[in-house]
Amino acid sequence: MICWSCEKDAGNEALCASCGAPQAISTHGAARDHFAVLGVERRYDLDVAMLESRYKELSRKLHPDRFAKGDPRARKAALQRTVELNEAWRALKDPMKRATYLLELGGVKIATDDGGARSGGVAASPALLMEMLELREELGDARAARDDAKVRAMGEAMKARAARSEAAVAAALAGTPTREALEGAARELVALRYYARFLDEVTAHEDAAAARAEASHG
Amino acid sequence: MAEALFQISEPGQSRVKAACTPGFSRAVGIDLGTTNSLVAMVQNGKPVALADDGGDAIVPSVVHYASDGDVIVGSAARDLFAPVFPSDTIASAKRFVGRGPRDAEATRKLTPYVFAPASAGESENVVRFAVAGERAVTPIEVSAEILRVLKARAEAALGTTLDGAVITVPAYFDDGQRQATRDAGRLAGLEVLRLLNEPTAAALAYGLDKQAEGTFAVFDLGGGTFDVSILKLEAGVFEVKATGGDSALGGDDFDRAIAAALLAQLGLPADAGGDRKLTRRVLDAARALKHALTDAAEASVDVAVGDSVTTLRLSRDEMEALVRPVLGRCAPSVRRALKDAGTEPAALSGVILVGGATRMPLVRRFVKELFGHEPLSDIDPDQVVALGAAVQADILAGEGRDDVLLLDVVPLSLGLETMGGVVEKLIHRNTTVPCGATQTFTTYADKQTGFDLHVVQGEREMVDEVRSLARFKLSGIPPMPAGLARLEVTFLVDADGLLKVTAREESTGQEASIQVKPSYGLTDEEVERMLLDSFAHAESDVKTRLLAEQRVEAKRILGALHAATADTPELLTDDDRRAIALAQAALDGAVVGEDANAIRAAVEDLDRASKPFAERRMNRALESGLRGRDVGAVEAKVAETESKTDLKTRVDAHQGHRHG
Repeated sequence: MICWSCEKDAGNEALCASCGAPQAISTHGAARDHFAVLGVERRYDLDVAMLESRYKELSRKLHPDRFAKGDPRARKAALQRTVELNEAWRALKDPMKRATYLLELGGVKIATDDGGARSGGVAASPALLMEMLELREELGDARAARDDAKVRAMGEAMKARAARSEAAVAAALAGTPTREALEGAARELVALRYYARFLDEVTAHEDAAAARAEASHG
Repeated sequence: MAEALFQISEPGQSRVKAACTPGFSRAVGIDLGTTNSLVAMVQNGKPVALADDGGDAIVPSVVHYASDGDVIVGSAARDLFAPVFPSDTIASAKRFVGRGPRDAEATRKLTPYVFAPASAGESENVVRFAVAGERAVTPIEVSAEILRVLKARAEAALGTTLDGAVITVPAYFDDGQRQATRDAGRLAGLEVLRLLNEPTAAALAYGLDKQAEGTFAVFDLGGGTFDVSILKLEAGVFEVKATGGDSALGGDDFDRAIAAALLAQLGLPADAGGDRKLTRRVLDAARALKHALTDAAEASVDVAVGDSVTTLRLSRDEMEALVRPVLGRCAPSVRRALKDAGTEPAALSGVILVGGATRMPLVRRFVKELFGHEPLSDIDPDQVVALGAAVQADILAGEGRDDVLLLDVVPLSLGLETMGGVVEKLIHRNTTVPCGATQTFTTYADKQTGFDLHVVQGEREMVDEVRSLARFKLSGIPPMPAGLARLEVTFLVDADGLLKVTAREESTGQEASIQVKPSYGLTDEEVERMLLDSFAHAESDVKTRLLAEQRVEAKRILGALHAATADTPELLTDDDRRAIALAQAALDGAVVGEDANAIRAAVEDLDRASKPFAERRMNRALESGLRGRDVGAVEAKVAETESKTDLKTRVDAHQGHRHG
């Protein structure tokens, strides 16, 4: 790539290797993956504090605010690069999102919510679906009865279950995972999606309870 | 003291001298508030709010439209004109910015304004106030008037034109409200460098001043909006983790709750019988009581209704009982923001208070209960937002500092309406800006040649429950079987938090045309037209601007003097009459001239000539029991010429023991 600013070889990084001007993302060739954007190794067990300081260091250099009064080409490139950087940070900072992304890079697809089997990829087993359906029903009954203690207990149990799944994902993805390990992690991630939706409902109940308490205050 | 009668702080009088030397920024930060507005700039490396001659940095966000076409902004509009011309004097325009007439309905129960329908060729989903001179003005135009005054103050201080401004907006403003604020800046002739979220601005000012590090919550309760933001401050990077709030909740709502109780005390209906002056008076009385009760345990206010004057009393406990349910509406937003940020109160390093309403002891107790932290308010909560905006302006204007970086977020999810009225979210709330997302859609009917796209913002699932931002029409797609055309829609949110949407049809490689029609706010053409129409815009240089300001000032003084002499003619001696008549004639002559300094001198002469009279009036006012707490109330009394329904507001603050 030739730099628009100094007309020398810019290299392949966001900032020109010769003059430091921000470079637009090339429309040719494959897009860089999120790990490459943040300049870190492609692996699951990353140090999040390291990742964060990397993100902030790059933000300081690339953010459009740095080029607010600069050449329009610099501003446009900085905007593009920062969008790319923010997306990478968002995808990698959360361990489960990072895991999902690693599976995607490894060619293991997770079925989308609405698509089910139609969209292909690893989907929830009928047994899990049935179990979650029953648990949601039970939760719904407890909510309707305003049984706050029961809702809390069910939430705690689900949190513990989610934590076990997360640990299983982490174990499966440690080091250089095999195809089998990737598929195992995918099944856990699918289950985690259902757990998360269950926990969202618990939170919704707690918020509603808090709002009720708030309304009767004073 | 006597000068206080006429010498109310006026923006045009600003004489802050700042040499235009390196180290002085030519970009300013503007806090365009619901109740009050301020302008600040960095001087000698520190942000400073620009004050007028009287040392007052605050410009009340109140705009009066006179029948002769003149526009008066600030305390004069609030104190002199609002009580007499309630529907021609717009306060709290910010509540209506980027909103439609249906949103305005919510306040219609107790409002001093008259709303006007859109004329042919105008956007229908914009609130319009019917004001004197058979005009209809939008909240964008009202905001632009306030911005013009702040711009003039800054230019007078700098002695030169501005490079640009950072204008703050509530973090919880949606895209329509942001676009409208940007339009107001354009109308005022400002180059808007950035729209900055108010709590972020406050954190910036606070963090830099106190060298603070850690995770902080900003609790920002202003006149009309509530924001809560959770930020991580670390090594010069101010990263917003989550934000939440309610863009229609603030001190104004406290006033309305108190006013409703006052009306009940008076045995009047909840809409004050549709009497606009009475509505304005009761709202002002509620505000006066609220302010008095910040320090006092009990207060009273006299309100004239018809021929009689009633003294209304309120204790702090009673007021708190009225306000508490409204304040409680902040709690769910706070809980959600903490959750979205993945943190909890105990993990916070502190809670920063912003906004005038956070002066109330009740609000401080509420914040302490909610967060379990004693809130921090060592920077003036009225100024902290403008100061932070000034720092960001300095950063963006170039030469400035590169040791600080703000990373802000999208407050509300952005999406598209899909089949069946379901919202498909493309960008989720609390995503760091700038950010983007792309989604591919396909045709659902054979030979479909166009797409109607509906861009929405909000957290709910159905299109009726979220805010409509814009409708796009993409046409020119060649007829194909259903499902073959592929429409790629891209959302891009820039560092201002403003959304741009682009769409192209992929399969044929054919570029399709896009028409944008904002659901709320003005079209670009309307803004252009307003710019052309705007008389003040033509006077963009400082000299002409100051001339216009001096004329307004002269008019205001003449009006106030006229009202005062009509009110208490018995206090005028023959000497006064002669001196005032002479000075007045001189001022009348100066006003039609082109020399701002001559007008200013004539105003000062008139002020001197009327000083003995003003002093006698002030003495009388003091004798009649005024505690001098609320000069605005005295002004209201001075201006009110219709003696029968006069507002004889008298706020007595009985200093009592404080309640824990």
